[in-house]
Amino acid sequence: MYFTTFLLKNLLRRKVRSLLTAFGVAVAVGTTVALLGISKGFENSTLQSFEMRGVDIVVIEKDVLDQLNSNIDQKYVEVVEKMPEVAKVGPALVNLEAIDIHGNLTPVFVEGWEPGGYLFEHLEIKSGRRLVKDDGRVCLLGEAMAQKTEKKTGDTIEITGEPFEVVGVFESGNFHENNAILVPLAAYQEVQVRPGSITGFSVVVNKPSGTDIDHVIKTVINKINNLKGEDGRSARLSARTFADYAAQAMHLKMAEAMALMTSTIAVIVGTIGMLNTMIMSVMERVREIATLRAIGWRKSRVMRMIVGESLMLSLVGAVLGVAGAFAITGLLTTLPQVSGLVQAEIADSVILIGFLMAFLVGLIGGVYPAWRATRMQPSEGLRHE
Amino acid sequence: MNKSPNPHRCLVETRKLCKTYPDGRVNALIDVNLCIRQGEFVAIMGPSGSGKTTLLNTLGALDNPTQGEVLFEGKPLGSWGSLDVFRSREIGFVFQAFFLLPTLSALENVQVPMFEGDLPVRKRVERARELLESVGMGHRLNALPPKLSVGERQRVAIARALANEPKLLLSDEPTGNLDSKNEAEVLDLFCDLHRTHGKTMIMITHSEEVARRAERIIRMRDGQIVADDPVVKTSRAG
Repeated sequence: MYFTTFLLKNLLRRKVRSLLTAFGVAVAVGTTVALLGISKGFENSTLQSFEMRGVDIVVIEKDVLDQLNSNIDQKYVEVVEKMPEVAKVGPALVNLEAIDIHGNLTPVFVEGWEPGGYLFEHLEIKSGRRLVKDDGRVCLLGEAMAQKTEKKTGDTIEITGEPFEVVGVFESGNFHENNAILVPLAAYQEVQVRPGSITGFSVVVNKPSGTDIDHVIKTVINKINNLKGEDGRSARLSARTFADYAAQAMHLKMAEAMALMTSTIAVIVGTIGMLNTMIMSVMERVREIATLRAIGWRKSRVMRMIVGESLMLSLVGAVLGVAGAFAITGLLTTLPQVSGLVQAEIADSVILIGFLMAFLVGLIGGVYPAWRATRMQPSEGLRHE
Repeated sequence: MNKSPNPHRCLVETRKLCKTYPDGRVNALIDVNLCIRQGEFVAIMGPSGSGKTTLLNTLGALDNPTQGEVLFEGKPLGSWGSLDVFRSREIGFVFQAFFLLPTLSALENVQVPMFEGDLPVRKRVERARELLESVGMGHRLNALPPKLSVGERQRVAIARALANEPKLLLSDEPTGNLDSKNEAEVLDLFCDLHRTHGKTMIMITHSEEVARRAERIIRMRDGQIVADDPVVKTSRAG
């Protein structure tokens, strides 16, 4: 008999209690993994959309944490474009709109981009055509969006209460873009009643060989941050590397903060549940533990038994929790209200966090009862009724 | 009438052993001097509360004396780095209520003390099987304790006590829960262990008949040894 077999048999003595405790850990781990997974997926998707285009700098309005709340005068795009270090600039007017999909108002990213701009370069047109310079109220649907809305080239879709004709369907390597609608910047500014206004722009710097790219990026960031308007007042632009932008974006930070807060509560609840179970287990087995000591077990062996049982319960909880998190996120992707925002994928790093969390719950939940068990004098334990 | 101990020949020895429980009102052991020689089979008798179990627990390092000392092979127990290790290597315990783990089979119960040793799992299983066969339980290796008779449970407990090849076997009323048939079988087993394997054994009992199977009877009253005499075998060979 292996020591682990012995631990397992101890746990199986109280099957329901063991299962309920593992289930408690599973809820804690599942909640954490699902929330962190969604938040991390969002962050990764944002980073990926910049990365695949080689974006170096993201510019939004100063003192605004998020592109969705940003408002910049489009004229600064031309100013930045003329900087000698700058290769490409991609202005965008982005909004999270409620689009009617089969009677459900569903949040969808609508992005106004300049037709012919470099932002379109990585999109593969699956049907129809690209946006061209003089396009009016037309749009491209991401492949996932086209499937959800069951729209095809030639159909119309209502954006900000105005009909836009679908002229093509594209495929992007990015989850959120595949769930988005792209419209010509000018047409979107018109329906949003924001002429000459954008929410932000991305910048790709020139990268001649032999130059210190980081230095070039820093130079351009400084130049943009110090831009002034015609009246001599600050242009109020905030330029950051795309990694800094993703790390500080308000919606990402909020999602992460919520996930961390929920995780903390889940860890506390899970640990209390584990402590309760293991303390009960020790109290019920006073004579048994004393017997084990009497037949030669060291205190450390008793400690390993209690902590080992606790860690085994945690491990079962972690496996159930991670499976549950996949089930929850999978289910969310089928809900029209959030399907374009939530990915079914959960990063390996998040799964690892889930298992580490379960380990922590098991360790904390097991150590105190184990310590109590080892403090007991064997002769007293043998007299225990 | 304590025998004067000879430290060079005692396996376990006590010197002026006293035990007072924390409330300070019960003197469980008072100046107990005792020598148990290698290979002896000793019975301890006395009324309830006379200090028999306290003495046994102290000899087996399950309890600490308030004063005095216990020596094993001439060395004080305090010289062992860990009393747990001492118990694991040198002492085997058999209890009146067996204290087997209910979810483990007979074979698994006997392996439990061996977790403290360095035997690989296959060797542990092999040794547990041999021990169970030696106590006549080879046919019930995979039976769970609730499925065993009380006599069978005590045999498994004896096999478990022998798992780490202890020099001293301590048993607290090992036949207290047994009927006369099982009692005789367990005592035969003890006598066989003593005679054939030369085990040193100390057994607490309330029964004069059981005590007479040993070769020496120590009688206690109010925490003191009041008699310590060899058993004169008359009819039955022990």
